[in-house]
Amino acid sequence: MKKYFAAAGLLIFIAVFADFLTPFDPYVQDLEGALTPPNSINLLGTDRYGRDVLSRVIIGSQTTLCAALALLAVIASVGSLIGAICGYKGGRLDTFLMRMSDIFLAFPQMVFAIAAAGALGGGLLNAAAALAIIGWTKYARISRGLVLSIRSMPYFDAARMAGSSSIEILFAHVLPNIAGTILVTAALDIGTIIMELAGLSFLGLGAMPPTAEWGAMMNNGRSMLQTAPWVILAPGTAIFITVATFNLLGDKLRDFLGGDRQ
Amino acid sequence: MKKFLATICAAGLLFTGCGGEKTSSTNDKTFTYGTVAYGVAMENVGTNPHESYSGWSTLRYGIGETLFKFNEHMELEAWLAESFEQVDDFTVKIKINDAAKFSNGKKVDGAAVKKCLEALIANHDRAPRDLKISSIEADGQFVTIKSAEKVPALLNYLSDPYGCIIDVEAGVNDNIVVGTGAYKAVKVTDTQIDLVANENYWGAVKPKMDKVIVKSITDGDTLTMAMQNGELDAVQGLPYSSLQLFSGDNYKISQVETSRVYQAAFNFKTPALQDLNVRRAISMAIDKENFCKVLLNGNGTPAIGAFPANLTFGGDKVHALPYDLDGAKKLLSDSGWNDSDGDGYVDKDGKNLELRWLTYTSRQELPLLAEAAQANLKKIGVKLNVNATDNYKTFLKSGDYDIFSKAIVTAPTGDPEYYFTSHIVPGAVDNAGFYDSEQIATLEDELHNTFGAANRSELAIKMSQQVLDDCALIYASHLRMSFVMKPNVEGFTAHPSDYYEIRPELDKK
Repeated sequence: MKKYFAAAGLLIFIAVFADFLTPFDPYVQDLEGALTPPNSINLLGTDRYGRDVLSRVIIGSQTTLCAALALLAVIASVGSLIGAICGYKGGRLDTFLMRMSDIFLAFPQMVFAIAAAGALGGGLLNAAAALAIIGWTKYARISRGLVLSIRSMPYFDAARMAGSSSIEILFAHVLPNIAGTILVTAALDIGTIIMELAGLSFLGLGAMPPTAEWGAMMNNGRSMLQTAPWVILAPGTAIFITVATFNLLGDKLRDFLGGDRQ
Repeated sequence: MKKFLATICAAGLLFTGCGGEKTSSTNDKTFTYGTVAYGVAMENVGTNPHESYSGWSTLRYGIGETLFKFNEHMELEAWLAESFEQVDDFTVKIKINDAAKFSNGKKVDGAAVKKCLEALIANHDRAPRDLKISSIEADGQFVTIKSAEKVPALLNYLSDPYGCIIDVEAGVNDNIVVGTGAYKAVKVTDTQIDLVANENYWGAVKPKMDKVIVKSITDGDTLTMAMQNGELDAVQGLPYSSLQLFSGDNYKISQVETSRVYQAAFNFKTPALQDLNVRRAISMAIDKENFCKVLLNGNGTPAIGAFPANLTFGGDKVHALPYDLDGAKKLLSDSGWNDSDGDGYVDKDGKNLELRWLTYTSRQELPLLAEAAQANLKKIGVKLNVNATDNYKTFLKSGDYDIFSKAIVTAPTGDPEYYFTSHIVPGAVDNAGFYDSEQIATLEDELHNTFGAANRSELAIKMSQQVLDDCALIYASHLRMSFVMKPNVEGFTAHPSDYYEIRPELDKK
């Protein structure tokens, strides 16, 4: 468990302090030095614009990881809140929002995101918005189910009899009790979100040039797989390591918190 | 165990059967060609020249022929037509070659050409606008075309792919037309055209291949690998970075300069860009040499104006501003754009010079140009935000761009007028920058009424120079088109028109 936390922490550290860790300016072009293979100066070589690939992978972690974590924070919190309100209040609001979520859940997530990102136009923000539009539903469903089970608990009735308001009950008793499951779901989702954001960028619907983003970097290097493989392998490996780390962390977290809940 | 052996034997027999069938079908001399240029996105699926851009497929793949064709200098030569006579400014009389025959054996005479051109005008979207035909008369092998107004480039327009002469009476069946080319289509889908030799071909050189298969492979990497593993005999449209994989003795490459230009139009509605100094500074900061040399891997030539050097009105007949970063900075400074806050970008009245560069990704070179321009302009303190999206038409409609970059074939019919009327004159459909010049409008009027290639060239040069003097557009590069083929392929060469690909001379030794 600790080693996974350490690995994830290291990745987040790199993302946060990326500006100070890059050996070269990741955006300065040097066409004379384009497509230089990995060497002692440019450890991962240079891309077709002569930019240092290592610097772009490091700064790309900021774009990819921060965007993924921010997106996840938004969809997990908004989705959970909507689900909790639905579960707590019930009635027409619950029916309306759950049918809405049913509609979104009927679409394959990536297909819907591609369509939405295409309609919104390029850009990382639009790609994130496209994923957010469909991403909240899972959290709403989970939290609603959890709230419905909590509603039958004695402490829930006790809080109501003690005269607590709905908001107090929601924030003091309901949300803390569903937070563990939401957290595990979110941890398992980090990898998926990174893949989806990178996927949209790979399709040209995410990060715009010259933003260093792993998916976009892979797309730019796609036609050079045979002639300059380092251009695509470096961001590809970065995505693989990051997604694997967060998925393993999510698994461990699920085992740990799941055991507690029993 | 017995069952297992029986299964193995059955599988063996099955594969043996498949192999036998393949051997018998390979007796035919077949040429398999992969291209990125055929497909629904290019609006050229099918072979009916009277529909959209399908005529390009008719002409490219040797199914149809036009009355006149272009040589390597994009000058007109007789083809189905034997000769012509300009009767007056509105009338041209064309004599059809007596030997010309459709692939169904029917003779091509004046009446057949008349019917075809009438069907073209009735059905095509662009042809009536270009040709402005008021009447067509047929008499034996002669056809006389009268125009409603002066159309000096009429013969050039008739040589556009939409001008392929087909047997209208034979109709269009399953997207197949009856043309006069060396090959005839037997199966046409959105992704493939199967052709067989036209046994009735009228030309001096008879088709040498039994079958030609044209495959649409729009993904550059798939195309590269299909060529590498020997599935294809030749390809067109490989990514530039892949071309070096085919440089050895195992492949041949045919390259030619085309009139496809990568241009960027300044939006004159953007206040900052209404200043000539700013437009000039931006033009001077674009490093065309390195863009062509490094990013296009040498598969492009730096452009001066809209037309390439192989045209009489192109190349260095005009002059543009040189690449000069210091000069560009000075021009910006002269107009009051200085980096007063030290953030690396020039500013005026507290606002940075920040521009939006709109382009699309379906032409692989355009995002490269955008990103190169972004880095180039940063050097003179101009911030460029690139929007590379295939949804670009929405942005064009809403006007949310300051510079629009696109790829365009500027002289598809060897004549300059098309480019000016579509992209440059005030109010032109594709005048994305809203460039409005009185001089251009006057010169275009003159061009529209001028006959003779030399006179028209002279006017085209004047107009091109005016565009450059006004710095209305930046011309970055002309595309060098490449065909890669196996070494045993002969008679398959790239043509500057981008039209004639499968010709009777095509052979596999």
